[in-house]
Amino acid sequence: MLSNGTFLIAVLIMAAAAFATRIAGAVLMSRVRTTRSTDLFLEGLSASVIAALVASLLAQSDLRTALAVAAAIAAMLVTRSVIWAMLAGMACAALISRLL
Amino acid sequence: MRLTLHGILLGMRRLIPVSLFVIPFGTAFGIAAIEAGLDPVQATLASAFVFTATAQFAALDFLTEPVAFVSLALVVLALSSRHIVMSAALSTWVNRLPKSKRFLVLATLSDANFADALPDLQGGQDDLGRLFGGGVMLWVTWVASTAVGAFGGNILGDTDAYGFSVVMICFFAATVAGQVQSRTRLLVPVLVAMGIAVLTLPVLPTGWNIILAALAGGAVSAWLHAE
Repeated sequence: MLSNGTFLIAVLIMAAAAFATRIAGAVLMSRVRTTRSTDLFLEGLSASVIAALVASLLAQSDLRTALAVAAAIAAMLVTRSVIWAMLAGMACAALISRLL
Repeated sequence: MRLTLHGILLGMRRLIPVSLFVIPFGTAFGIAAIEAGLDPVQATLASAFVFTATAQFAALDFLTEPVAFVSLALVVLALSSRHIVMSAALSTWVNRLPKSKRFLVLATLSDANFADALPDLQGGQDDLGRLFGGGVMLWVTWVASTAVGAFGGNILGDTDAYGFSVVMICFFAATVAGQVQSRTRLLVPVLVAMGIAVLTLPVLPTGWNIILAALAGGAVSAWLHAE
């Protein structure tokens, strides 16, 4: 069990580190002059960070998750609704669990 | 840029479905924190102040006496470093707010409200309330569900049987698919980023493969469409 004093220091350090990452990108960009290239870079960056997160999670998960993601993407492309996509993915995963 | 109450409420409403799926993660963190030796109040405070799932889970390994404070700070920095990338991507809009509001909005930045608000901002929406409100919704859910796990975790059973565990990744995948569908020039950068993330996963520390992949995706995007 951590003493409350030690815990307080630890949690403040963690909070400061997490907050620093949240403001760092915007603070950094406020010092840079933006051009068409930086805009394109940021556009690619913003889609890529989420895509990379998905790919990284998929690489560490099972076939059930991969099929659920495929169902979600298909539902998104057809319905253009994130809600339907999430429901399709969840239904697919639940179905596979039931069948196996 | 504006930050209106109307936008904040819209953001909160928009992220209610996603927040429901945060509950299993928050509860799991609460349970894991108790197992790691925190008391229920400490576990809940950690979620309230840090508000980043992966980094909090990883930090549990460091929260035993004597605490290695430097390692703790580095782990949190590394595992939440993708926020730097998202924050930079939002800079175009966020930096037009006054400084105090800017930092308030960014304090709630996480994957889900970023993914939800970005397409709107790119489409010309000038209200950052959606980003902030979404973040508040996620934060409230994260803290509350941590408390549930920490104070009453042992009476809850297995939450994975209903397919909850796949919902977050489906949400992220669908968001990217929607972005690529409306901006096809993003397809190549996104595929490059996904490839790099997977290829470098075994060799880079957790989280860094995502940063490298995102930077590569950005570079490809800038390079492909340069005049």
